[in-house]
Amino acid sequence: MTATIVAQQIINGVVLGSLYVLVALGLTLIYGVLVQINFAHADFVTLGAFAAYFFMHLLGGSYLASIAVALLVGALLGVAINLAIFAPLRHKGSELLPLIATIGVSTMMQNAMLAVFGPVPYAFETPYSQRVFRVAGTFFTEQSVIIVLVSIATIALLYAFMKFTFLGKALRAVAQDRETAGLMGINPNYLIMLTIVLSSALAGMAGAMLAPVLVLTPFAGTSVIVKAFAIVIIGGFGNVEGTILAGLLVGLIESFTTQYLDPGLIDIVVFGLLLLMLVFRPTGLISERREENV
Amino acid sequence: MSVLLAAENLELAYGELSVCRGISLEVNDGEIVALIGANGAGKSTTLRAIAGLLTPRGGAIRLRGEDITRLPSHERTMRGIALVPEGRRAFPFLTVRENLELGGFKNRGDGAKVKRMIEGIFDMFPRLRERASQNAGTLSGGEQQMLVLGRAMMSEPTLLCLDEPSLGLAPLVVRDIFRTIRTINEGGTAVLLVEQNARYALDTAHRGYVLQTGSILLTGTSAELGKDPRVHEAYLGRAATRAEAQ
Ligand SMILES: Nc1ncnc2c1ncn2[C@@H]1O[C@H](COP(=O)(O)OP(=O)(O)OP(=O)(O)O)[C@@H](O)[C@H]1O
Ligand SMILES: [Mg+2]
Repeated sequence: MTATIVAQQIINGVVLGSLYVLVALGLTLIYGVLVQINFAHADFVTLGAFAAYFFMHLLGGSYLASIAVALLVGALLGVAINLAIFAPLRHKGSELLPLIATIGVSTMMQNAMLAVFGPVPYAFETPYSQRVFRVAGTFFTEQSVIIVLVSIATIALLYAFMKFTFLGKALRAVAQDRETAGLMGINPNYLIMLTIVLSSALAGMAGAMLAPVLVLTPFAGTSVIVKAFAIVIIGGFGNVEGTILAGLLVGLIESFTTQYLDPGLIDIVVFGLLLLMLVFRPTGLISERREENV
Repeated sequence: MSVLLAAENLELAYGELSVCRGISLEVNDGEIVALIGANGAGKSTTLRAIAGLLTPRGGAIRLRGEDITRLPSHERTMRGIALVPEGRRAFPFLTVRENLELGGFKNRGDGAKVKRMIEGIFDMFPRLRERASQNAGTLSGGEQQMLVLGRAMMSEPTLLCLDEPSLGLAPLVVRDIFRTIRTINEGGTAVLLVEQNARYALDTAHRGYVLQTGSILLTGTSAELGKDPRVHEAYLGRAATRAEAQ
């Protein structure tokens, strides 16, 4: 009996954690390469979710295609925020400028979405939310399976890109030493653009997968972004492996806290862990590689 | 012999702080040119301007007559200028092989060529072959110097700029590095060599410039400079004492 409950919470935790990892990975990539934070990341998640929703429910597209649409919308938002904010502000002196500008973008996007979509939650139904698997007393939906599989595939693709392609290696070089990367003939501006586009595409895609599980409102992204930030910090700023571990950890903490304590305590437990990490292991879970960004 | 690189009357500054004034120097095809001078004379600053890491406040830089003064560093690399910067700057969390691959970024469309060139670098520095899949950050100072030299050669430069390749290395390793620099030069690559170790620099170079507090004090063939009492007293004397102390 208890074993079943534990197994069930592990499943729930891994599903949630996979969603958090997708959201947090983008933040980590941008931090690793630019040492910047995109505060509008949450709103890219939200807009990705709405794009998927309307593609499915208005245009009659399939859910899997709507994930691709959300990814594309995220990528376009990435192009826009790089052109409007990160690129022009890069040489303006203060590192705070882009950060503050993205807070502005976030506020604008939230209010625009509130005006257009309204505050009432949308019911994002997918055919996969209805189908339930039962295995040894535990149950999970096809939607959960999709979430976990897409997350695994994304992480594997990202890893292969970083490890085996010329562009991925160039991206790591830019993260480690931008000036020297330029001496190799790499245009750092181009790779920074690529990083922001990749991260934002991940955010959009995360939105399409998260909305059917959580609640779709103009604040859907905001509700997970705080945890995503916590995950980035627990994982060790800019560390991809650390972020993946921390994302799963936070997902598990959330499901077990819900089961054994009280859902109201989730944030307290997560941020308690965050504080402990900051005090005892400020470089993150995988500290021996702390200087490697990305 | 035609002029490969010409710096004309360069004014270089960091913000408000003017560091170099009226620097003019030339590197001809096939030459090794040394730039020597005391700490803080502006040697690294001059190299950084030539490689495009610092935009001059005044003056011009020409590569085979073409004005490249405002070109960003990555485009200069594409045109054949390679810089091994001060402090070597290998990418510490990339493997030796990955560092070399990135040096060949220019040829990224031709994987077979990059592989072949890496084998060439490994033949030049067999130590690097043994450490091919090791992170560059774990290499010794001498190995890192070999790596960044090889990495710079991967871009097939016509002008190789080296900032203190001997710094912090044991005398035997230094001799190896300088021998390699001569070999590279015999292959047709012009070299602009910044060194504090004036004896090594003048032994290796055909010509030289002496930089003093941001201006060119002297220029001439290595033999002329080696005989000049001012060079002798200020640089060779000290270098000799240091070499004896080691
Ligand atoms: N990034 C910087 N910002 C401000 N001043 C700088 C900077 N880099 C160098 N300088 C100053 O410019 C002057 C010349 O420095 P540079 O590094 O070119 O000297 P150098 O001849 O290479 O000396 P060394 O032999 O010690 O390497 C020095 O006074 C130095 O303090
Ligand atoms: Mg120097």
